Amino acid sequence: MTLLTHSSASPSTSLAARSFLRAPPFRAHVAPSTIPSPFRPRLLRLRASPRVKATLTVDSPTTGGASSPNGPPIVLLEVKDLKAVIKESGQEILRGVNLIINEGEIHAIMGKNGSGKSTFSKVLVGHPDYEVTEGSVSFKGQNLLDMEPEERSHVGLFMSFQSPVEIPGVSNFDFLLMAFNARRRNKGLPPVEPLEFYSLVTPKVAALNMNPKFLDRNVNEGFSGGEKKRNEILQLAVLEAELAILDEIDSGLDVDALQDVAKAVNGLLTPNNSVLMITHYLRLLEYINPNYVHIMEDGIIIKTGDVSLAKQLEKEGYRGISVS
Amino acid sequence: MTCCSSSAPFATPAPPLSFHPLRGRSAPSLTFPSTARAPRSVAARAALSDPFVLEIAEKFEDSLSSSPAAAASPLPLQKLRDSSSQSLLSRRWPSSKDEPFRFTNLSFLKSSVLLPVSSLTTPLDCPIDSPLPHLLSIVNGHVAPSLSRLAALPDDVYVGSVSALPPGPALDRVLAALSDGFADGDLFWDLNGVGAPDMAVVFVPAGVRIVDEPIHVRFCYSEGSEVESKQLAVSSPRVLVVVEKGAEVAIAEEHLGVGESEDRCYWANSVMEILIGEGGKVVHSYVQRQSMNAAHIKWTFARQETSSTYELAEVSTGGRLSRHNLNIQQLGPDTVTELAAFHVSQNNQMQDLHSKIILDHPRGYSRQLHKCIVSHSSGHAVFDGNVRVNRFAQQTDAGQLTRTLLLAPRATANVKPNLQIVANDVKCSHGAAISDLEEDQLFYFQARGIDLKTARDALVFSFGAEVISRIPFEPIKKSVTSQLKHLLTTQ
Ligand SMILES: Nc1ncnc2c1ncn2[C@@H]1O[C@H](COP(=O)(O)OP(=O)(O)OP(=O)(O)O)[C@@H](O)[C@H]1O
Ligand SMILES: [Mg+2]
Repeated sequence: MTLLTHSSASPSTSLAARSFLRAPPFRAHVAPSTIPSPFRPRLLRLRASPRVKATLTVDSPTTGGASSPNGPPIVLLEVKDLKAVIKESGQEILRGVNLIINEGEIHAIMGKNGSGKSTFSKVLVGHPDYEVTEGSVSFKGQNLLDMEPEERSHVGLFMSFQSPVEIPGVSNFDFLLMAFNARRRNKGLPPVEPLEFYSLVTPKVAALNMNPKFLDRNVNEGFSGGEKKRNEILQLAVLEAELAILDEIDSGLDVDALQDVAKAVNGLLTPNNSVLMITHYLRLLEYINPNYVHIMEDGIIIKTGDVSLAKQLEKEGYRGISVS
Repeated sequence: MTCCSSSAPFATPAPPLSFHPLRGRSAPSLTFPSTARAPRSVAARAALSDPFVLEIAEKFEDSLSSSPAAAASPLPLQKLRDSSSQSLLSRRWPSSKDEPFRFTNLSFLKSSVLLPVSSLTTPLDCPIDSPLPHLLSIVNGHVAPSLSRLAALPDDVYVGSVSALPPGPALDRVLAALSDGFADGDLFWDLNGVGAPDMAVVFVPAGVRIVDEPIHVRFCYSEGSEVESKQLAVSSPRVLVVVEKGAEVAIAEEHLGVGESEDRCYWANSVMEILIGEGGKVVHSYVQRQSMNAAHIKWTFARQETSSTYELAEVSTGGRLSRHNLNIQQLGPDTVTELAAFHVSQNNQMQDLHSKIILDHPRGYSRQLHKCIVSHSSGHAVFDGNVRVNRFAQQTDAGQLTRTLLLAPRATANVKPNLQIVANDVKCSHGAAISDLEEDQLFYFQARGIDLKTARDALVFSFGAEVISRIPFEPIKKSVTSQLKHLLTTQ
């Protein structure tokens, strides 16, 4: 396992370990906050492995393209010892997050309210409220932390907001078109005309069982909680992403809506793209099966396992999950 | 001084010398040549008049009496000038100590050489490019029939200069409307009355509806001077709209500098007076896109009879100094009033809306939305919105909302929404907010791959979209939209 955790930087080693275990590698680490920072990342990797070992014995994940049969898994996102504070107050929220997501994997993060899940996802997409004080994030081998939020979107990162803002005066259609054409411009492609875009977007609206009228309404303005979530997934469907971070996409959804959304997300999955879901409920994970489930507590990932961890959580609550 | 004469002063050219005493400096002791003047008004003038104000008034009179049309001034205009000059006598040039001008600095006007626009000069380079079928052009305050297109209007509707208005019910109505007077007027209202060389009349008889195709009332200003000249050519356009019982009219009002005056300096001091009969309706859009070096002061005074409706959507982006005085009075119960305004103040611009809605009768409904963007440190916005619900205005439903976006560090806005409620059974609400763009909204765009500048532009534009969407005339809405997109993105 020590080898395995090191392997994040060395795919060939990782492959060996993976095929041997036929189980996902675990790269989430417990970060003892007492370790002086310059040495922490490396030490962590060394130390963390034995701890997560225990959870390795559980059933292997039921789904997922976690392993690519013909080659080494390709690392999509690598978060190392990420620490972040709230800019305004300097209060530290992320206290050393480690996470590796390979192409084709589905991950879930669970954790108590206020444990830092949304902060983590917002930091990944570059929200201006937070400042990264330590650690690194690479996405497809590039330093994500150096990029503006819009560049992060262009390289294939998408986050659906837990509470999407309302944007009065901008229609959903115009917003989608603006975003779509921004993406195209970034790729050196000419913009699409509204008419062409309309025929491109309507099937996606239909697939989400959304009323086409939502395109004419202002972005999220007056949308119900569930409608906002659907709308986030519509944006994902239009923009596509290599890594979709879905922050509580299931909260506030009725049963039908949850199925629509899950179907849409599953429909977007390819062997190459990955999903990071944040959720409080097992229900979502039954529709979108994760390879890994991580538990976040107080700004760090304290435990990683598979879906059985979520089942345990459902039964016993967070009391049942303890690191020590 | 003809200024206070009650006879028809403009019909007879006044002896030039007679003006000098009134040019202010030593006025009181000098004698007046005209016998028409009563000693009492001399005394009044001596006590109250403001030399600067009188000087402007005199210039107007000089220019009007020297114009060839003066001799034939129609009765309504004579009446207007008489009453205006009478009331002008007690006006002072406003200072920042006067509440209505507390934040609105008029020194641009005071420090300029004010010259009345000479006479009827219809520029040939003012093209008719109205997208609307009915067009009434008013050039430097004069109705310009050759630049208007009114043939498609119903026969009994009158749109044109008061001087061509034949005797009959329309003229009677116009005269009656003028004699009502306007107690809430100010110096600029009176100056317009004294200086108006013409008056446009829109008369819609009972039951007639001009709704689908609005009347485009286009105010053109062509006599601007170079900015360095310190001269302001003053125009005083005047429009009276009379909508009789059950009639409806849609009016698209627009103010702009034409030809070389597109960016020159001038002063437009206009008045539009609107009378809406019982059950009548006026749908009014007002677009102010004057030269950025112009001064634009406008009065809109609307009176609403029982069960009438008045809707106004205003977009004001031009002028260095722009002030809109909006006054709505209720003459009977069950009126509906919906006002929306969007102002943009950029570099060195002042945009000011002073509005007053006075409700004196039961069951009135009024809504007012004011939105304003100040996008430059030297930009300034002022809003004073008064809604007065008087004692007999029970079951009034009045709402008022003002929102200002300050996009630059030292940008200034002074907003004063205020509801005065005397009646006890009413539903009233108001709100005010001044802010920058929302960080979270900007980030939402960015998170979807849209860069900050595009996001800002979209949000800034969308801020005004709420008001623009209320302009009911598609071609006007379109042109305003593209003008604003241009204005708000090229800074
Ligand atoms: N911009 C901010 N300003 C102030 N406090 C913040 C800010 N962002 C996060 N926090 C605080 O940081 C902590 C973590 O918040 P976060 O939203 O990440 O929690 P979460 O795990 O997503 O919780 P939930 O399950 O309720 O969504 C909370 O205590 C929250 O109040
Ligand atoms: Mg959260």
